[in-house]
Amino acid sequence: MKPGFSTRFNRFAAWVLLMFLVLPALVAIPVSLTPRRFLSMPQGEYSLRHFETLFGSPAWMSSFAQSAVIAVSAAFLATVLGTLCAIGLWRIASRAAEAIRALLLLPLVVPPIISAMAFYRLFVPLGLMDSYAGMILAHAVLGAPLVLITVSASLAGFDPKLEQASRNLGASTFTTMRRVILPSIRPGVLAGALFAFITSWDEIVVTLFITRFSIYTLPRRMWNGIRENTDPTTAAAAVVLLAVTLVVFLIWVLLQRRARALNPQPE
Amino acid sequence: MSADSAQSGGLAITGLVKRYGTVEAVAGIDLEIQRGEFLTLLGPSGSGKTTLLMMIAGFQDATAGDILLDGRSIVATPAEKRNFGMVFQGYALFPHMSVRDNIGYALSVRKRPRREIAGRVEEMIDLVQLQGMEDRLPAQLSGGQQQRVALARALAFAPPVLLLDEPLGALDRKLRIEVQAQLKDLHERVGTTFIYVTHDQEEALSMSDRVVIMQSGRIEQVGTPQELYSRPRTRFAATFLGKSNFLHRDGRVWALRPEKIDLHVGSSGDDRTTGKILSQTYFGSVLNYRVETTEFGVLEVDVDAWRGGAALRPGTVVSIGWHDEAVVPLED
Ligand SMILES: Nc1ncnc2c1ncn2[C@@H]1O[C@H](COP(=O)(O)OP(=O)(O)OP(=O)(O)O)[C@@H](O)[C@H]1O
Ligand SMILES: [Mg+2]
Repeated sequence: MKPGFSTRFNRFAAWVLLMFLVLPALVAIPVSLTPRRFLSMPQGEYSLRHFETLFGSPAWMSSFAQSAVIAVSAAFLATVLGTLCAIGLWRIASRAAEAIRALLLLPLVVPPIISAMAFYRLFVPLGLMDSYAGMILAHAVLGAPLVLITVSASLAGFDPKLEQASRNLGASTFTTMRRVILPSIRPGVLAGALFAFITSWDEIVVTLFITRFSIYTLPRRMWNGIRENTDPTTAAAAVVLLAVTLVVFLIWVLLQRRARALNPQPE
Repeated sequence: MSADSAQSGGLAITGLVKRYGTVEAVAGIDLEIQRGEFLTLLGPSGSGKTTLLMMIAGFQDATAGDILLDGRSIVATPAEKRNFGMVFQGYALFPHMSVRDNIGYALSVRKRPRREIAGRVEEMIDLVQLQGMEDRLPAQLSGGQQQRVALARALAFAPPVLLLDEPLGALDRKLRIEVQAQLKDLHERVGTTFIYVTHDQEEALSMSDRVVIMQSGRIEQVGTPQELYSRPRTRFAATFLGKSNFLHRDGRVWALRPEKIDLHVGSSGDDRTTGKILSQTYFGSVLNYRVETTEFGVLEVDVDAWRGGAALRPGTVVSIGWHDEAVVPLED
């Protein structure tokens, strides 16, 4: 049967929307392959010269390293904090706990510029400006709510009888958490860690406010690259940034599938 | 293991109450449980069986009252220090651990040497006959096998008391009867005190040393299965455990079990009344008749099916009799 007009229109609209969402993210790819010296779409000819420049530049490479160190550390810190928070709130399970949870999710809805100003005001007197410690801390604060969400979702599906069974068999609260609760919510913890990593990996607004000379993350160097000249190396960097993000996202998808295969939900 | 667990396991419960807001889930319970006893809590849904068990296990605080283990109060002892084994409704096996690790869990959190744990796990595997399944995950076992893992896990640390909350609820009828026999046999071998929750009367009758009939958070009656069946004290006890007719005589209510009534065509010396058969239903081993009597209204009568010959048709006039001791006065 031929699909009716409205079905076809819906399909068409869905594709347009998808393009609208995805294409801007992908535009960096052809631009990074241009053989010319300024940002432009390649016309028939492609070249990897900007990737050569990128990987040969000590400045860009140091930015990669900085971004990676900060993102990994911030994700780790956010995961520990977010997971502990989620378990604590799950254990309390009261109306007050719900209120606290909402409060903890606030960093997600507060405009980044407001967070950035807050960090700036706080970090100047604390001496955390332009330091690894300050960056890791700030990004962990931004990532922790995501971990809280994913871990809470995992806990919602966790059978509280398992905790009772563990305690009944003589395990302390700590042992129960390490040997029963954590393994059961591992998919949520890992998903949260990946989201926290991505959040830090491409964060720019807060970074601009709390860094000066020594911290130069990848997004910050791209920001400068675009502002000061039209060097296509920036596009090459964008492609690498995107690739890392996609790889992390792919890991997440695979984890979800494996978790579902291992732990089929009843009903 | 029967040696170490038989040392203790006597429980005394006094004035125990659990209130949720205005709901009294457990409304004042006094109960003594002998060490090594198989005690069953029997009652309809919502009668407070699970709540009582959870208070004994230490997962619920008592609103009032006390629980004594061998004379010492345990209400202030946290669940993980009580050393009571428990088989949960739905088993609550750790899904990410193998059968071996599930069973060894209690000993491993007690930091026992690896050799001892391995030996004990093997012993438990033999006890519940799960040889060859040691490395499987719970999801790879059948319901009956999971139930046995749960049992082995709860008994592995030789607890003085084992609490079981409807452990057979998820099994089909045939398997349930098989496991009932295994459980009873296991109880005799390990000597642990069993506190068993069910709302299945057959299970209660066939396995228990004593049965506690509960209703609305209270104890309706306690006794051996024989006592409860032959001398129910209340109308509730008489209907919850088995079936019963109720006779109104001398201003009292009396219970009369359907199989204690004699029914025959024609009359004999000691008939109590006559009646007309309303309907008959065949249950394999028994034939059940509903008989409209002149003095006592409608009575249910169970007759051994193999003895009755051809079933009597509705409308047949019959004589009905019973022995004096067959009727039991009720408190109502
Ligand atoms: N957390 C709770 N909050 C409020 N009321 C509760 C709570 N837990 C149990 N109750 C109430 O207490 C009563 C007893 O519940 P309980 O679970 O002990 O019954 P049960 O005898 O185990 O029933 P079932 O055979 O259905 O398992 C019920 O009326 C129930 O609604
Ligand atoms: Mg229950």
